[in-house]
Amino acid sequence: MSKRILVADDEAHILHVVSMKLRNAGYEVFTAVDGEEAVELAAAELPDLIITDYQMPIMTGLEALKELRRNEQTRGVPAIMLTARGFDIEPAEMAEAGIAAVLAKPFSPREVLEKVAELTQTAETPLAG
Amino acid sequence: MTTAKRLGLATMALISLGASAAYYATMMAMQGQRPHGGLNFLVLGLVTCLTALVLLVFWRSVHRSVRMIASQLESMARSKQLGLVMVQGSDELAQITRPLNEFLTATKMQVEQLRSENRELQIQSRIAAAEKHHTEAIIFSISDAVIVTNRFDELILANEAAEKLLGFRLAGSLRKNIDRILSDGTLVRLIRETRSHGRNFTRKVVEHSIDQKGTPKTFSVTLSCVVTDNEEVSGVVAVLHDVTREKEIAKMKTDFVSNVSHELKTPLASIKAYIEMLQDGEADDEQTQREFYDIISSETDRLHRLIENILNISRIESGVVKVVKEPTSLTGVVKQVLDVARPQAKNKSQHLVERLAPIYYQIEADHDMIYQAVMNLVSNAIKYTPENGSVTVSVTVDERRGVVVCDVADTGAGIPAEDLPRIFDKFYRVRNNNKLAKGTGLGLTLVKHIVETVHDGKLTVTSEQDKGSTFSFELPLLA
Repeated sequence: MSKRILVADDEAHILHVVSMKLRNAGYEVFTAVDGEEAVELAAAELPDLIITDYQMPIMTGLEALKELRRNEQTRGVPAIMLTARGFDIEPAEMAEAGIAAVLAKPFSPREVLEKVAELTQTAETPLAG
Repeated sequence: MTTAKRLGLATMALISLGASAAYYATMMAMQGQRPHGGLNFLVLGLVTCLTALVLLVFWRSVHRSVRMIASQLESMARSKQLGLVMVQGSDELAQITRPLNEFLTATKMQVEQLRSENRELQIQSRIAAAEKHHTEAIIFSISDAVIVTNRFDELILANEAAEKLLGFRLAGSLRKNIDRILSDGTLVRLIRETRSHGRNFTRKVVEHSIDQKGTPKTFSVTLSCVVTDNEEVSGVVAVLHDVTREKEIAKMKTDFVSNVSHELKTPLASIKAYIEMLQDGEADDEQTQREFYDIISSETDRLHRLIENILNISRIESGVVKVVKEPTSLTGVVKQVLDVARPQAKNKSQHLVERLAPIYYQIEADHDMIYQAVMNLVSNAIKYTPENGSVTVSVTVDERRGVVVCDVADTGAGIPAEDLPRIFDKFYRVRNNNKLAKGTGLGLTLVKHIVETVHDGKLTVTSEQDKGSTFSFELPLLA
C-alpha cells in the first residue's frame, strides 16, 4: 500500500507541483489550502506524513501542526515545513509541532521527495506509478 | 599761636592788670588816702571790658572754625561724598582736623573700594541672572523631558515636557527630594546612582519604558553629572528622549524587508519548482509541459509586477519619483481603465456600470499615476466580486467643494471591520479574501500614496462583509 501524504499550501501552484512530484513517485496525496482545512483533512484521512506551508490563511502551518499534536490519532504524524520566511523555527517549537524537517522556499521538489522517502521509510518501498 | 596760648597770655595780662590795680589800691590805702571812687570804678570797668573783649575774640575765632568744619561736614553729608576738612590757621581745631582728614581719606578709599566691589558684584549677579534665564530658556524649549537635581537629589529645574511626562508641577516641587516627586522608581534610582558614582562617571544612556496615558513608551535616558570647578558632583541632569517612534520605524523596516523577501520568494519558489519538474521529465505529455511553461511565465510576470510595485512605492515614499502634473480629465482616465478592465469583468459575467461626469472637468494630475490608481481599484473590485456581481465606477463633480470624486463600488466579499484600518498597509492582505484572488498586498498602498502623497487628495473606504466595498477618492477640481 502506498504511503499517504497531506500537502497544505495556499499557493495553488506550489500545491500542484508538490502533489504531482509525490503522485508521480507513487504516493497518495491529499491537499488543503489553509491551516483549518489541513487539520480537518489530517484528522479524517490520518496521513503518514504532512507537508505544510508556514504562512497560510485562517491558521498558520505551525498552528495547524500544534493543533494536530493535541489529537490522539494524529499526534505521531511527522511533518515537513515549507517556508518563505527568513527565520528559523525554534528547536523547541519544532519538537512541539512534530516538525521533522524545514525546507526553505524556493525549494527543490526533488529534495522534498527525498525527505518524504526518508521520513516514511519502512521495509517496503512505495509503489511506483 | 594756638588758642590756648593766646588765652593764657590774655589771662596773664588781665591778672597782672588786676594785680597792679590791687597793688595801687593797697598803696593808696596805706598812705591813708582813700582811693578815688571814680578811679576804682574806672579800673574795674576797664578790666571787665577787657575780659569781655578777650572772651569775645576767642569765642569768635573758635566759633568760625567750628562753623567751617560743621558746614564742610554738612556739605559732605548732603552730597554723600567724603572730602577733606579745611580750617584756617593752626589752632587746636586745625590740629584736630589732621587726624580727622586722615580718617576721612582712609574711609573714603574704603568706601570707593566697596563701591567698586559692589558694582562688580551687581554686574556679576546680572550676568548670572541672564545666564540663568538663558539656561531656563534652553531647557524649556527642549521637547525632550529634562530634570536637573542638586547634590541632595532635590529637584532644582525641570521643563514642561518633564512635568507632562512624569506628572508633577515644577512650582510645587522645587527643592524637594525626587523620591517625593517622581513615582517612577527606576528613574529615581538612576539619578541617585549617577550622583553617587561621582565624577568618574560622566554620562550614560539607558533605555527605559514609561507608561504614558496607558501606552508604554520607550525613552532613551541620558544621565550626566554636573561637576564643579573643584571636581565635586553638584547635581545630575537627566534628559528623556522618546524613541518609541524610532523603534516602531526600525520594526517596520525589519517587517518590510521580511515581507518583501517572503513575497518575492513565493513566485520564485514556483518558478524554480516547475523548471526542475521540466528538467526531471516529470511532465510527460505536451499539455502538462505547456501548463508548466505558462505557470513559469505568469509567476515571472507576478515577480516583475511585485518588484515594480515595491519600487514605485519606495520612490513615492522617498520623494524621488518624477511626477508630471498637467490638466487631466478624471472621466477620461476612468474611461481608459474601463476599456482595459471590461474583458476581465466579462470573463466573470459581471456588470460593469459607469456613471461618469462630463469629460471637460479637469484636475491637475499625473496621468499615468492616476491611471494606475484607478486601475488598481477597478481590478481589485473585479477580483473580489463573484460571478454575476456588479462593479460600479462613478465620477461626480462637487463644484461647491471644488472636488472631483471617483467611487468604485462592488458587490463582492467585503472587508471585515477589524481589517479595514489596515488594508492600506504594505503587504497587508485580508486573510479570508486570500483564497479569492492573488495579490501582493501593495496595490492599495500604492493607490493611497498616489492619491494622498502625490496629489493631495483623499482616499476612503466603506465596506460591509459579504455585501461589498466602496473605495472613493477625491481630488481638487482645476478652477
